[in-house]
Amino acid sequence: MTQAISLSKGVGSARRPLEYLLYGVLACLTLLTPFAATSFGAATISVADVFSVLSHKLLTVGESLGVRERIIWELRLPRVLLAFIAGAGLSIAGSVLQTVTRNPLADPYLFGISSGASFGAVVSLTLFSQSILWLSLPVGAFIGASLSVVMVLGLCGRNLSTQVERMLLSGVAISFMFGAMASLMLYFSSPQAAASVLFWTLGSFAKASWQGLWLPAAVVLIAMLIILLNKRQIVAMRAGDETAHTLGINVSHLRLNMLLLCSLITAILVANCGGIGFIGLMVPHTVRLLFPGRYPLLLTALVGGLFMVWVDVLARTLLSYQELPVGIITSVMGSIFFLFILASRNAKRI
Amino acid sequence: MAESEATPQLNTALNSQLMSQEKTVLSVTNLSWQLAGKAILSAIDFSLAEGKMLGIIGPNGAGKSSLLRCLYRFITPTSGNIELFGQQISALSAKAFAKQVAVVLQDTPHHFEMTTSQLIALGLTPHKGAFDFTNKQDREEVAKALDKVGLTDKANQAYESLSGGEKQRALIARAIVQRTKLLILDEPTNHLDIRYQIQTLELLRTLNITVITSIHDLNLASALCDELLLLNNGQCVAKGEPKAVLTEQIIAKVFDVCCEIKPHPQHGNPLICYFYGYQNHDYQNNGYQNQGYQSHDVQESGEHQAAKAQTLGGLDDSGD
Repeated sequence: MTQAISLSKGVGSARRPLEYLLYGVLACLTLLTPFAATSFGAATISVADVFSVLSHKLLTVGESLGVRERIIWELRLPRVLLAFIAGAGLSIAGSVLQTVTRNPLADPYLFGISSGASFGAVVSLTLFSQSILWLSLPVGAFIGASLSVVMVLGLCGRNLSTQVERMLLSGVAISFMFGAMASLMLYFSSPQAAASVLFWTLGSFAKASWQGLWLPAAVVLIAMLIILLNKRQIVAMRAGDETAHTLGINVSHLRLNMLLLCSLITAILVANCGGIGFIGLMVPHTVRLLFPGRYPLLLTALVGGLFMVWVDVLARTLLSYQELPVGIITSVMGSIFFLFILASRNAKRI
Repeated sequence: MAESEATPQLNTALNSQLMSQEKTVLSVTNLSWQLAGKAILSAIDFSLAEGKMLGIIGPNGAGKSSLLRCLYRFITPTSGNIELFGQQISALSAKAFAKQVAVVLQDTPHHFEMTTSQLIALGLTPHKGAFDFTNKQDREEVAKALDKVGLTDKANQAYESLSGGEKQRALIARAIVQRTKLLILDEPTNHLDIRYQIQTLELLRTLNITVITSIHDLNLASALCDELLLLNNGQCVAKGEPKAVLTEQIIAKVFDVCCEIKPHPQHGNPLICYFYGYQNHDYQNNGYQNQGYQSHDVQESGEHQAAKAQTLGGLDDSGD
């Protein structure tokens, strides 16, 4: 009898009512966020305005709203989209890296990418002419980030399947090295350069534009697709290298590919939005705590994206006439929220 | 004439019948593995027929796990040949190999956040391409495996929360879902009480697949394995049926313990009775009585003693 019952039910994990509630909340947030988040900001814009601009631009229905249309279409919408892409990309990269390195503290900046990127940014800000700043800072940051990845992977040699600890330690060392070099260059540079590097390091979506959007969007989307197609293998990595090997997985190949893919996502995002910390570490853990016993990659990306959009809304509305760096808000909000979930889960655990 | 024509046909028919009965799953020839110049495994030869259960026995550090690791390709042997159904295992792709050989390892990493059914579903991995999603058939297969190992009511429990015996059964269920022809297990009875040890091995017998398992308990190995391979210092000391491998002199030589072997009252395979307080050298120097052993059997049987002393001496001469 028990067998018949279990067969008819299937063997998937039983979904709890709380989980359905969470799915419902997420679905509502996903539908509302693009409109609501776009309407927040210095200029007063209603959700209805956003609707009419979108219908005018996308469906060529209705009339143009003039300045408000330009604010919505050219400033706010790319910014919301970039924030979503950055949040989703960093979260999924963090989640995959935590799995393939089996280290709960792994985050997208594992290979000293953020320090490498800031070093590149500082070099481009201080050594190159100010006139090509808009071009050289992201490019410099990307080169710096890639350099740190190449150095870490070079340091561990070819045998990545047995060298996870070595790789993590090399990442820490490279991170400190680039951090020190960046600090040294900033120490001898102008206060202005130091301030702009600091602002960039803490992360911002203020420079978002349609032209700058396609590259991060394409990279994150393609990378996410590749990750989803390899999901079964990534999940099996959680059972350990040797078990994964016996399940027909080429462990060192998969790990190297995923590390490179996540580094690419991170380097592109860091170059475009600065070093937004904590999200890649925190969102995967939060999702795992909210949906225990699952491995929801898409959900992780969705939660990360939505979280980042609303953090950016806070960043541009908390203080009038001044923007806050998003990195500060993600860290403050993220840590409080994370501790709250952790405490409530601990209380429930018997 | 008619007879001479018929005979070859009969022979081939008989041969093919024998072949199908005794189809070789795995054959290992001259397998050696060295680590940093030190020989861990040297010149191991054996082959295993379909449906048989091979127990790999030997003292700690004898090379049991290393041999198994060579068999499931986690380490590449320094020299030698391993063939699976007549095919070099090194020539197979990782996926093709995992479709034919399932492995149950001794331990899984900590923080293993999976439910029992998710763990079992991992066995589907080699059968799934990038675009294959888990379907109804897969779920039914997992449910059947859960039922077979008696864990249906634990399907949605965290794997970490299972008892030792249940964990082992869950891992075997994962191997069932992997639908392989050969199952390799590394000390599946470790950390289990005797009930679960017997249960686990009996479960393996019911699967009707070829099994290779390393095992510490010699009596259990004797009772439930068709063939045994005894390793010592990376060399194969004895192989064959339990009766041929588990003899008093071989056990005394390899494990340095003293024992007496009787036929098991149930199945007739060797039943090993260990004598305590008599390491091999004590036994050789002093005999049983000097140590004050209380067993009637031992005190009575002068013949046994003489026989053992003889066999021990004989084995020492033969050497490795």
